[in-house]
Amino acid sequence: MKLLSYICIVLFGAACSSEKDDYVSIAENKKLEFTVPANFPEPSYNVSLNPPTEKGFELGKKLFYDGRLSSDGVISCGFCHIQDFAFTHHTHIVSHGVDGALGTRNAQPLHNLAFMKEFTWDGVVTHLDLQPIIPITAEVEMNESFSSIIKKLKDQPEYVKLFSEAFQNKKIDSENMLKALSQFMIMMISADTKYDKIERNEGSVFTDNEAAGFELFKAKCASCHSGTLFTDQSFRNNGLPVDPQYNDAGRNRITGLDEDMHKFKVPSLRNIELTFPYMHDGRLKTLMDVLNHYSDGMVDSETLDPIFKNQNDILGIPMTDIEKEQIIAFLKTLTDDDFLNDDRFSEF
Amino acid sequence: MKKFIIIILAILTITSCKSDDEGSEPTFGNITLDFKNTIENNNIEFETNTYTNGSGETYKISELKYIISNVVLIKANGEEFKYPVDEGYFLINEEGIESKKISLLDIPVGDYTKIRFGVGVDQSKYPLNGMANFIPTAEESGMLWSWSAGYKFIKFEGTYGDTDAPFLIHVGSHGTALDNYKEVTLDLTSTLKVITSKASEIAVNVDVAKIFDSTNTHSFADKSDVQVDPVRAPKIAENISTMFTITGVSN
Repeated sequence: MKLLSYICIVLFGAACSSEKDDYVSIAENKKLEFTVPANFPEPSYNVSLNPPTEKGFELGKKLFYDGRLSSDGVISCGFCHIQDFAFTHHTHIVSHGVDGALGTRNAQPLHNLAFMKEFTWDGVVTHLDLQPIIPITAEVEMNESFSSIIKKLKDQPEYVKLFSEAFQNKKIDSENMLKALSQFMIMMISADTKYDKIERNEGSVFTDNEAAGFELFKAKCASCHSGTLFTDQSFRNNGLPVDPQYNDAGRNRITGLDEDMHKFKVPSLRNIELTFPYMHDGRLKTLMDVLNHYSDGMVDSETLDPIFKNQNDILGIPMTDIEKEQIIAFLKTLTDDDFLNDDRFSEF
Repeated sequence: MKKFIIIILAILTITSCKSDDEGSEPTFGNITLDFKNTIENNNIEFETNTYTNGSGETYKISELKYIISNVVLIKANGEEFKYPVDEGYFLINEEGIESKKISLLDIPVGDYTKIRFGVGVDQSKYPLNGMANFIPTAEESGMLWSWSAGYKFIKFEGTYGDTDAPFLIHVGSHGTALDNYKEVTLDLTSTLKVITSKASEIAVNVDVAKIFDSTNTHSFADKSDVQVDPVRAPKIAENISTMFTITGVSN
């Protein structure tokens, strides 16, 4: 009799076993803690709608570093976004793609993306989940189609396993692929610089040079590079002469508005020491070159930001050489060594 | 006693998965939306036929595709059935006969008097909710603006005038600045009865000429290549939202 009961209990349990297995695997995929640094604003990304999990993050990282996302099997996201240089393409003026193709803009750093409202130099993308579509499908970048990537991924047992562990519906599709990439990218928070430790009263102090630079920065730069993200996330024309090779219309390309001609996103200055070359087309090599542009190199145009127009029609931000050195000393306090060396984001 | 226990346990075993079965009660039916792209009530013909717009300009068509999304069926009492968004993006391609008949599955049985749908993709619907799974279809049919990670809501191309100069109308949304997604609500000509035994059909006439001449007038003389255009694209999008009429319901 006891035996019979056991058998029935086993049967009873087994009747719903497929469901039970699902619950077990979901429970095993632990949620990752997404912590907003104390000195940061609320994220723009709605983390609750795509909460990062261990497996989702692992999948996103694998995708990020996988050349299968490109047509030649070589160019991964990480090819142009190298961690040691705050996920930029070190010393490359414009992005490089399959078969040696060249893009027209400088690869931007990847950090604190959960706090950004719009993406790319002209803000054409309004949600992080959609951002990877551009480099993946652009002919001069990864030159691949989603249909083809999905086919390739489905052939890899490792991916079949990871997708099924990371997502409840277990599907290898565009949506889950983009969500996994976002889970990886939103965890890339850079908030442990010397500047942060000072802002959060964690015991660090500026050198005299850095302190002087910070005061100058607040007076001369912070109206656009504002807040703890060091960008007001606006689009402005900062007086760069138009390069006829690219003739890049900037934000005008997406709004079609004359007033947006040659405007580009005000970039964050975090890790700026390492993200050279600078500007949307990587034309300036050093931070001193950048400051020299702001003091003496600006070109007037219809859409030049009025903030650069001084009395007597003098353009730019007046700065002495010593002031420039001090500002650069301050900017170097925005380098986050912990982030640059964080194994969680490393390819190997 | 043994028998009793076996029966009880057998019942438990069967009923323990009952929740799985609840959805299969026969209360759902399928319908078909049949899109017919016409000019002056005749099916459009690619390249062979010459049409004339309201501005007196002649043109021939070589491509017509558009995205239909967010289909909602509405009952007389206002009750709405929203078709699941993750299954709900459709590409209508004049060249693909199958694409012009949209099958909507598992609609609650009942009488419906109105239909609402979107032309394009609603950017306010982020996060993705399945929208990203339309990417492969869109990229295969050239409806993905890869540089903007966005969809072309309509792709309308051909030639115009005596010289057969090319024209191109691509309308979509870009960033937050330009939202050209439109929704259309239409009365059904008669009540749509969704039943389990057969698929009812709604015939939709799409008057393509309205792209040029409707609420607004667009001429080739004004611009023959409209893509990212803050002035013309919204006007054309408005025109596009007027080109749909229901011509029949067959239950």
